[in-house]
Amino acid sequence: MTRVSLRRVVKRFGNVYAAKDVELDIAKGEFFALLGPSGCGKTTTLRIIAGFEYPDSGQVFFDEEDVTYTKPYERGTAMVFQNYALWPHMSVFDNVAYGLKVRKLPKEDIRRRVLEVLDLVGLRGLEDRYPLQLSGGQQQRVALARALVVEPKVLLLDEPLSNLDAKLRIRMREEIKKIQRTLNITTIYVTHDQEEAMSISDRVAVMNQGRILQVGTPQDIYFRPKNIFVATFIGKSTLLQGKVVKKDADRVVVDVGGEARIAGKLASDSGIKEGDDAVLVIKPEDFTVDPPEEPYNAIEGVVEFSMFLGSFTQLRMSVANQNLKVFIDPKKEVKPGSKFVIYVKIDDVLVFPRSEEVLEVA
Amino acid sequence: MDIRGSLRYLDNVLILMIVFSLALFSLFLILPLADMISLPLAFTLERLVSGTKTGYSLIELFSDPRLFRTYSTTEPVKISQLGGATLVNFIGWNFGVIPNTLIIASLVTLNTTVLGLVVAFIMARYDFRGKMLMRVLAYMPLLMTPFVNAFVIKKLFSFDGLFSYIINSVIGLPLKINVDGMFGVVLTQSMAFWPIVYLNVYSSMMLIDPSLEEQAENLGARGFKLFRSVTLPLSLPGLAAGAAVVFIFSMEDLGGPIAYGFYDVLSYSIYSNIKAAQNIGEVGAYVGALSIVLLALALAIFFGIKRYVSLRQYAMLSRGGRWIPRVRKPKLVGSLIIYLVVLPVMVFTAMPQIGVFITAFSVRWSKAYPEGFTLDHFASILKNPDVITGLSNSLKYAAIATTIITVLSLSSAYVAARSRLQTLNEVLDMISTSPLAIPGLAIASGYIVMFTSWPFKDTFLDPLSIYGPWLLVVLAYTVRRSPFATRVIYAGLQQVHVAYEEAAMNLGASRLRTLATVVIPLLGLNILSGALLAFVYSIAETSVSVTVGAIVAGQKPLTAVMLDFLTGGRLAGLQLAAAMAVLIVVTQLLIIFVTNVFLKQRYAFIGV
Ligand SMILES: Nc1ncnc2c1ncn2[C@@H]1O[C@H](COP(=O)(O)OP(=O)(O)OP(=O)(O)O)[C@@H](O)[C@H]1O
Ligand SMILES: [Mg+2]
Repeated sequence: MTRVSLRRVVKRFGNVYAAKDVELDIAKGEFFALLGPSGCGKTTTLRIIAGFEYPDSGQVFFDEEDVTYTKPYERGTAMVFQNYALWPHMSVFDNVAYGLKVRKLPKEDIRRRVLEVLDLVGLRGLEDRYPLQLSGGQQQRVALARALVVEPKVLLLDEPLSNLDAKLRIRMREEIKKIQRTLNITTIYVTHDQEEAMSISDRVAVMNQGRILQVGTPQDIYFRPKNIFVATFIGKSTLLQGKVVKKDADRVVVDVGGEARIAGKLASDSGIKEGDDAVLVIKPEDFTVDPPEEPYNAIEGVVEFSMFLGSFTQLRMSVANQNLKVFIDPKKEVKPGSKFVIYVKIDDVLVFPRSEEVLEVA
Repeated sequence: MDIRGSLRYLDNVLILMIVFSLALFSLFLILPLADMISLPLAFTLERLVSGTKTGYSLIELFSDPRLFRTYSTTEPVKISQLGGATLVNFIGWNFGVIPNTLIIASLVTLNTTVLGLVVAFIMARYDFRGKMLMRVLAYMPLLMTPFVNAFVIKKLFSFDGLFSYIINSVIGLPLKINVDGMFGVVLTQSMAFWPIVYLNVYSSMMLIDPSLEEQAENLGARGFKLFRSVTLPLSLPGLAAGAAVVFIFSMEDLGGPIAYGFYDVLSYSIYSNIKAAQNIGEVGAYVGALSIVLLALALAIFFGIKRYVSLRQYAMLSRGGRWIPRVRKPKLVGSLIIYLVVLPVMVFTAMPQIGVFITAFSVRWSKAYPEGFTLDHFASILKNPDVITGLSNSLKYAAIATTIITVLSLSSAYVAARSRLQTLNEVLDMISTSPLAIPGLAIASGYIVMFTSWPFKDTFLDPLSIYGPWLLVVLAYTVRRSPFATRVIYAGLQQVHVAYEEAAMNLGASRLRTLATVVIPLLGLNILSGALLAFVYSIAETSVSVTVGAIVAGQKPLTAVMLDFLTGGRLAGLQLAAAMAVLIVVTQLLIIFVTNVFLKQRYAFIGV
């Protein structure tokens, strides 16, 4: 078990920052997810930890040891590649045994450990097959077995499930979680799927444009996003823009135009004052069609569009000329074009100061 | 990324590969050429600065009437009457060595470009009966029959050759033709080199996305307009590469000039002066000056076309189209052109190679055509000690060269494909492809200049020492033929995802172990076919073989022995040389068969 720390790591490709002052502390045995949109620098960060890329500046530590410029083959990490990178000219057994052979273990030990780990990933009996004779899910398990068998200091997974179908993805992520718990290996898991990150990890780091925006438990990230990017990236939130008309401790009332006023909770103490521009972030599933018991807002708007999606109905409502995404009970019938009132708890409305980022996200 | 950052990615194995590649190319390509250039340049400088003439300088080049003339010493066409028949003798001009070389190369490039382009277009866009035959015919001139094909062509086009015979005796016209001198060289080279243009243009055309042509057609472009506005520009890279290679090959060809006795060309002048110099023990500034001209012209072309295309394309001859190309049946005019013009021309260009085969099996060739069937020539070459020595020398040299090439090509291709040192990769890429454009005769002169003097004098690298030239020949083969293997391996490396290697290193394998257990097994077929190609092209090498390689009788490679047989005034010399050529061709065909059928690679048949 190893602690992994990144200190002000910077990596640039041309004008693009793939990592910009990245600070991370990943505890021994922790399951840590790196979450962010495509191209934000997740893979690069992972590759810096594996040693395939060296940072332009900053340091990488494994426990107390500075491994910033250590060669990949001297680091003791094990990576599961997005495309698995199983060697097509080696059987499943040889693929998995590779790391042990490199470590010059006795033959019998290699055999025993390979079979053990194949048992663990549920592939016992397939050791003589070649990668091309396996299904996607089986290949994924071989890749996992190949990484696990060497008992790495750190296990690195780069979107390991992105090539699998939805059902298999859910099953495999449960298995990975279970195996990680059993072996207790420090694990860094890269994904752009927020649900996957939430469900599997102890802590999540949300990245955008090479920067780490927030690190926290899945609950932290979900319920207490620190900025608009995190708030909107997680949970597909909807936005309303307006001006602060009243501020009372962390309670803020925002005028979103057309006389409509919505009260919410200040997300971060950013010194926002009355008269400032603000953005309201609300999760579509937090709206209700009946008034809740806690303090709430009642919002009136025109239903522009309604779509039945099985477990809920999605509405697009126009409120003061802004669009609002709302999920409601599918049994409720709503006619497009009609006026409609929905409710949301004041505590479920997050208020952020308006910044450049907003425009980008919206 | 800054250089310091990139250097971090190096490890001992990569450094070793870089050093090995650069050292080999520096010592056996760049330095000899630089050394050769330096002598005449020094004389030139001295002459310009102090006005004294210490040796042959570049200034002499322009005042030497052998090299430059404003008039031709021959009439291009001479017509005379003899016994009621009109004799037409196509001789061409003779303006001196340098203009002759340029005229020949230009005419040959023109001819081969026209024919190559037409055939490529037909093959890429039309489907017709006899296409397979045409495909085979197009490959015929690429069969490697060093020197012999030129002698066969000369015989076919003499006053009592097959063509005059057909015109005179079969058709019955009172006309006889003879092709000689410069025109003979042009004819021989055009016939031999046109498939190089064809193959390059063809593979470019097969890479054109058919939707581009369809789109142009949608917009109203038809027929020739479509060809000129879409197809031709898109196949320009192939055309440029093919034409450039033909131009360079033409300048350094020795077979044509020797067969026709047309000695006033750069290649022959360098060759004969190197031969003469062997007696004196040194080649002077004169050969150096001539080689500079040859080298400068070749490099000018090499860098000139770099704008359009890298020679890599030429060496790789991609695996054809990814698309399903647009083929259609020709209309009437098209059919007439194909069957009445193009096909006969192709049969015609295949005749030298066919002729070589027939000659090898014929008793004599004293009339218009070879007569009688015999296997005697094979029996007698296999009993001839010179041939046996030549054959075993060639096999030995080619085998050692191939071994070095395998390591060298793997190193330079791997570094070029994987290192993070952008500039180094480009430099290495350029150096490792440049032997395709550097005339072998320039390399030969460079070797003789550099390795016969300090600090190499009397070492095992000195061709005039007691060790003889064999090691230098091997190294010349290595340098000259490595691009073939490098390109095949480089192409393979681009197919092998770098993650395979990263996965190995991630699990603790060093670079060397990764190479041995992942890269080499995955590239196995590419490495093998690259090595086979390099082997067969080494055996057929001529420029260095007949110069440096001919210094010591017992160390001559096969091609040098063939030239001896052809020019030595020996009884049935042509037939015996043809029999040796057949041996080479059979080896070549065998290797092409193996690479295509067993290794499933399509890189064979690259050039002469
Ligand atoms: N070798 C490279 N050369 C140049 N640019 C690169 C290189 N590797 C990554 N980049 C750039 O760095 C940025 C981050 O890339 P990275 O692969 O880390 O993103 P990612 O978060 O893993 O994205 P994805 O989810 O699409 O895999 C991108 O803009 C990418 O184009
Ligand atoms: Mg990625």
